[in-house]
Amino acid sequence: MPEMTLDMRVNGRKVTRRADPGQRLLDFLRDELNLTGTKEGCGAGECGTCSVFVDGKLVKSCLMPAAKAQGADIQTVEGLARPGELDVLQKAFHKTGASQCGYCIPGMVMAATSLLREAPEASLDEIKERMGGNICRCTGYTKIIEAVALARDVVTGRASPAVLEPEGVGESYIGHNVRRLDAPSKVTGRLKYAGDMVMPGMLHMAVLRSPHAHAEIVSIDTSEAEAVEGVACVITSADVPGKDGFGVFVHDQPVMARGKVRHVGEAVAAVAAEDVATARRALAKIRVEYRELPGLFDPEDALRPGAPVIHDYAPDNVVKHIPIRKGDVDKGFAEADLILEDEFSTQQVEHAYLEPEAGLAYVDADDVVTVISPSQNITHHRHMLSEIIARPINKVRFIMSPVGGGFGGKEDMIYQGMLALAAMKTDRPVRLVFTREESIIASAKRHPSRVKYRMGLTKDGRITAIRFEMLSDGGAYGMSSEGVMRKAAILSCGPYEIENLQVDTTAVYTNNTPSGAFRTFGGMQAQFATESMMDIAAERLGLDPFEIRRRNMMRAGSLTHTQQRLTSASIDRVLEAAEQASRWEPGAPTMRGPMRGDLGGPGTRAPCTLGARFETPKDSKERVA
Amino acid sequence: MQRKMRGRGVAASWYGIARTATVDRAGAWAELDDGGTAKVVTGVTEIGEGILTVLAQIAAEELGIRPEDVTIGDNDTARSPEAAHAGATRQTYMIGNSVALACREAKARLFAEIAAHWEVDAGTLVAFDGELRAEGTNLAMTMAEAVDLCKRRGVVPVGAGHFAAHGTGLNPEDGSGAPWQAYVFGTQVAEVEVDTVTGEVQVLGLWAAHDVGRVINPRGVEGQIEGGVVQGLGQALMEDYQTANGHPVTHGFAKYILPTALDVPEITSILVEDPDPLSPLGAKGIGEPALVPTAPAIINAIHDAVGVRIRSLPATPEKVLAAIAEKQARAAAAREAAE
Repeated sequence: MPEMTLDMRVNGRKVTRRADPGQRLLDFLRDELNLTGTKEGCGAGECGTCSVFVDGKLVKSCLMPAAKAQGADIQTVEGLARPGELDVLQKAFHKTGASQCGYCIPGMVMAATSLLREAPEASLDEIKERMGGNICRCTGYTKIIEAVALARDVVTGRASPAVLEPEGVGESYIGHNVRRLDAPSKVTGRLKYAGDMVMPGMLHMAVLRSPHAHAEIVSIDTSEAEAVEGVACVITSADVPGKDGFGVFVHDQPVMARGKVRHVGEAVAAVAAEDVATARRALAKIRVEYRELPGLFDPEDALRPGAPVIHDYAPDNVVKHIPIRKGDVDKGFAEADLILEDEFSTQQVEHAYLEPEAGLAYVDADDVVTVISPSQNITHHRHMLSEIIARPINKVRFIMSPVGGGFGGKEDMIYQGMLALAAMKTDRPVRLVFTREESIIASAKRHPSRVKYRMGLTKDGRITAIRFEMLSDGGAYGMSSEGVMRKAAILSCGPYEIENLQVDTTAVYTNNTPSGAFRTFGGMQAQFATESMMDIAAERLGLDPFEIRRRNMMRAGSLTHTQQRLTSASIDRVLEAAEQASRWEPGAPTMRGPMRGDLGGPGTRAPCTLGARFETPKDSKERVA
Repeated sequence: MQRKMRGRGVAASWYGIARTATVDRAGAWAELDDGGTAKVVTGVTEIGEGILTVLAQIAAEELGIRPEDVTIGDNDTARSPEAAHAGATRQTYMIGNSVALACREAKARLFAEIAAHWEVDAGTLVAFDGELRAEGTNLAMTMAEAVDLCKRRGVVPVGAGHFAAHGTGLNPEDGSGAPWQAYVFGTQVAEVEVDTVTGEVQVLGLWAAHDVGRVINPRGVEGQIEGGVVQGLGQALMEDYQTANGHPVTHGFAKYILPTALDVPEITSILVEDPDPLSPLGAKGIGEPALVPTAPAIINAIHDAVGVRIRSLPATPEKVLAAIAEKQARAAAAREAAE
């Protein structure tokens, strides 16, 4: 690797390092200077987590070669306030609860700092525009924007610094806006996520992934890769000593592909080497011979007779079918004055947590195989890994590192097994950090769904029967599909007491990216269909949307779809609360928009418009945003 | 038709708290520590929802100290009791109640010693915000002094707690069963503007009323609602993970479009408290339920604005335009047929 001497001032101190000039400024800051407050979220300049100041200008450090910063004055999030202190913006983030997982927050603080330096009088619209280049997946931006506006008001003297102080407690800490205890470490970039952690002698892992959706693995030759200088080990499924298989409900996924690959991006082999670049170079020297197999890419095709079989244990390609029956649907439909039939679909959705998957594994002095990672389920991962590596459960230890966004996407043990195997094979710590592309192609998505709906109603809007049939593409592995189908079925027909119903939810295997756990676990897909049907029915019957929901809602004593007796049901209260807060004007949903009188009031914002905006200057200097 | 059309839609929802159709459980340890501080150890780490702060509030309330005096041990299968997974809207409900019960046991140990020292009934002791007193007397001391006294009497005030939520499995034939012991309900109203020339939909206002049981941290609950709403908005309008013959084609943020600060409506959260009768805290949860009604509320609002029903998510500008064009063609055909 070519090296040159890089000189810069970083956070006010002169820094000189012999380093690879082609590396990104991001890597130089993180790896050479251990300034890990600057995060990598996408590596493509799209998310803003790596923002730093270079000679006073906000720059995405993943896009700048380190050599280009030669002689520059760099400021990172660590340089905003003295250790142990917070600046005004950081205090405002702390006060409003603007940090959740915290992974985007250093970048947000940097973008907001830039904003307050350049446009201290920024309006709310301008704040949103200037923060628009930074992605946050947790907060919905609302409390971040509130924090920036609060800091702006303090900086410009419109508000007293006292607004940044914590709220005094009354008689109880329950129901009190205690400021988040983890916020100071997040707004200053001090908190270490798994990808920020280092251990002495640590190796770096890179993963070879399948280029095919469905293919038999004829052979894997790792000899050339193993011969690369700096490579400590290459692992494949042949290195698994125990029972190879993981999954949230069915253990159908091997740590690395075994015999065949089932989706593009599936792990096939992994290299642990002295640095990431060497590991990646060695990957190119692993020879895998594939024999392509016909693939399944549509869930309906998966159910056709003679369809290719993805997993031998499931010759019908069905991961799970959940039936729910209550009452007599034929009788219910016979009693209906109106029968509606419709179909709905939802798409696959990426979790897009800003922290890509990362982990660090080592074998400790007591021979305990230890994995540190942002796993959402270390208890279950410990069980599965103990079987995979054939060690007693107390010789497997999982430590949950701060999770930079999960939303269900970090429940699957898709890489921790590889880390454990490499640590065992080398007796050295091994770290793996996914790239964004790797994270997107290898991790599970929200289940896409297709729902066939039949609803019978009386003239006065009482639902007499529902038939609900949902088909979901589970992708190549089972992951959480079983649970997602169960929850979708249980919640399917919404918060309404339905006397007669027939619900079926089914997830099937295909060769698409696996679907798995994602915030609501099937609940939103199912209720999207139901809530669309409720409005379609309300339109047909000339009923207000709140009214039709009230006529059918569950109450204390209601029997749920699974025939559970409810002791309380707050649906009446939340309907009323939403209706009142939004000042809802009653009426049937018959494209009333143009006639409504309740639009554009309190609780709404102005629409965004494209183009330049001129603002009345506060002083003589005009400013165009 | 005007170019910019506005409308409103509503959607209701329900959700179960903690793991589904099974017995969910969690455990925790607590110790009142020197200086009137506390250690709480349980298998949990922040995934962003604010659970560490919630647990510190619960421990502070139960022990009579301040949240900042609570140290929470890291989630580690070799060092902390099982609390299982960070998901299923179970953290506040499962771990929160475990921590409350562990703290109650630790506090009972401390109170027994102080009551004996003061020669009062332990039931008269009240601790809050670092101060301990015996009601009906002028006896008082700080929690730091109380812990010191307790230890000098030979007792380390420790406690352990565990909490279970008793769901039952579903009957494999008819699905009957009681999958959860606690349910929450929510309703959201969305106000949108549809640009009938570009097909673009902007959500301008969103009112989210959610029952969360007893609220532990109002701002934290709002943060969960706001985050859930914006994820729901992303799914309703723009996010779409696509593959072509199994090959992902949206493998970066340039192609996989996420909501930014400019897409966010003004969000009004209304917290409705229907306390859970089956748990010591009465809290339920909000993580997942916040997202459920957002997409249908937006889609219903689009219908209210321009009279088209989007049945397939996301409602991209292309789909909205095509639906408007189809509606206009239908209307034109109907006019022609009538003439």
